[in-house]
Amino acid sequence: MANSPPKSGAAQGSGEIRLVNVTKQFGNSYAVKDINLTIPHGSYCCLLGPSGCGKTTILRMIAGHETPTSGEIYIGNDMVVGKPPVERGTAMMFQSYALFPHLTIQDNVAFYLKMRGVGKEERRRRALEMLQRVQLDHLKDRMPAQLSGGQQQRVALARSLITNPKVLLLDEPLSALDEFLRLRMRGELKSLQNELGITFVHVTHTQPEAIALADMVVVMDTGRIDQADTANVIFDRPATPYVARFMGGQNVLTGTVTGGGGPGTIRLKAADGSHFETMANGEKPKSELSVAVRRDRIALRRRNGDIASNAVNALWGVVSATEYQGSYVKVTLDVGGQVFVANVSDRDYFAEPVERGDPVVASWKTEDVHILGKVDTGAAGDPYLDAGH
Amino acid sequence: MSASPSYGSRPWTFYALALLFTLFVIFLYGPMIAVLVLSFQGPSASLVFPLRDPGFMWFDELFSPRRTGDVAGAFNRSLPLAILVMLLTVLISVTAGFAFRRRFRGSTAIFYMAIASLIVPGLVLSIGILVTFRYLGLSATWYGSALGAHLSWALPFGLLIMFAVLGRLNPSYEEAAHDLGASRWQTVKDVVVPIVFPGMIAVALFGFTLSYDEFPRSWLTVGTKNTLPLEIWTMTTNVTSPALYALGTVTTVVSFAVIALALSSIIIIQRRRSRGR
Repeated sequence: MANSPPKSGAAQGSGEIRLVNVTKQFGNSYAVKDINLTIPHGSYCCLLGPSGCGKTTILRMIAGHETPTSGEIYIGNDMVVGKPPVERGTAMMFQSYALFPHLTIQDNVAFYLKMRGVGKEERRRRALEMLQRVQLDHLKDRMPAQLSGGQQQRVALARSLITNPKVLLLDEPLSALDEFLRLRMRGELKSLQNELGITFVHVTHTQPEAIALADMVVVMDTGRIDQADTANVIFDRPATPYVARFMGGQNVLTGTVTGGGGPGTIRLKAADGSHFETMANGEKPKSELSVAVRRDRIALRRRNGDIASNAVNALWGVVSATEYQGSYVKVTLDVGGQVFVANVSDRDYFAEPVERGDPVVASWKTEDVHILGKVDTGAAGDPYLDAGH
Repeated sequence: MSASPSYGSRPWTFYALALLFTLFVIFLYGPMIAVLVLSFQGPSASLVFPLRDPGFMWFDELFSPRRTGDVAGAFNRSLPLAILVMLLTVLISVTAGFAFRRRFRGSTAIFYMAIASLIVPGLVLSIGILVTFRYLGLSATWYGSALGAHLSWALPFGLLIMFAVLGRLNPSYEEAAHDLGASRWQTVKDVVVPIVFPGMIAVALFGFTLSYDEFPRSWLTVGTKNTLPLEIWTMTTNVTSPALYALGTVTTVVSFAVIALALSSIIIIQRRRSRGR
């Protein structure tokens, strides 16, 4: 989807967002470069990536707080570049919430109506209705500084929603909350989006947040989109080694195609001499290929003697750390200097526990191997090597 | 023998610095209190302690001038001048503060040029203004040349305060206003100015007191009629009665009243924001 050509006139609802060849330059550096992206009407879209990857820039360009250097942005059928936010039908919720400190929360929510010249009685009434929706009407005369983080966020939501937007843009909306509130507000955002049926675009750097919320996850790396798809596809079948590492939950292996394996499979040989197989997909012999295997698809057993030199889909290593996670145990292996992670279910782990320093064999099935679209260019210095779970 | 627990006694530096601070406070307020007390001196007209038959006679003397000089007239010039300087300082500092929020060509040079007037000696500036006005054939007046001289002193302070205040203002507020359909003018009027209003009061306070107290920049620029600090200075040379102290008391009270007014309005605004209405 990341590089699909822009559909013309396909927007049924008015909340579809299309970015066509959008580039934003700050001085000589590119914040985002040649982005193409279609976010369907009424979907919950998460822009995910590390800080500085350009996700906030995209959000701000959709909102109209940043002007692209080149390219076009459509909301519904309207080209919106150069238009003010209100004409775009977007509303943005800021990371700091940006509630006006000198106004009561009722006046904060009524601000949009005041700017439109709506009379005092009516705007107060409508602001109160909106506050009732977020269950804060009893606090209408408080000042923002007197509210908790979660309450402030709800006020910010109410203030955005009173504009009746087609698109709600959320800039790291949960990052200022503590863990407990974060999970609760996450649920509330999702059900609010279901209820309203408008497009939500949510910027985050937290993988579980994106997976839990999004109909569509857009994974970004420095200024470009690596993959845009459903959360399930992003997590289960990452397109690139970067996405696999950033989402976590995957082991990335690289080898050279040596020929056919079993029926319909090809065999790879890694630099350390180990062999593994994957379903054939037209790969040429001698080409380099990177594959990913989910951490929770790995079976571990203690190593007794050497593994046969012709063993397939197996690596031997030494346990370097174990981390209890409740329903599973994260076992980190040192495999010839590389990190390899197996998430073993608690039942399997406690049936045959392994400790730091134990030699083990990790194995997996051929059908659990997923081919990545790019050859891994080395994990060295990759800060997301061990991200997520 | 085991050591007894220590709950942290104060180091000797605490007492040394406390002593230093006490001396500072005595130096700051002692003379002011002495003047205040002696302004209630009785008819003995003694300029030194002790205080005998205290009363208000020297305040009467002050406001019904027979030989003390034109105090009321000087006050009637100093007050409007200080208010004028205050208003202009606020207006110029705030608008300049907005301009400097975004970098523009030559902004640094303009900033340093404005700040440089802080280090030009006031008396030199005063002479320079007088000479220039003479050369241009203009007469020096308190509402003309003195106003300019005072602004050269008050404006840099106002600018520095406003830069600090606006520098701390989160740009998200303006963007949120823009997002909610506010025009530029509405954003300034309904969002930015109310948020930075305490800072504007601080600028106003500086503008007022710097002008009201200013001596060196007033010296040659006020023309033929004195402002209050000049009048006091003149009186020290030819008035030898406690009326001088009475004048000191009155002007100090006015200054304190202005400061109290400004600070209490800042406190009220902030309290309203944190407590709600």
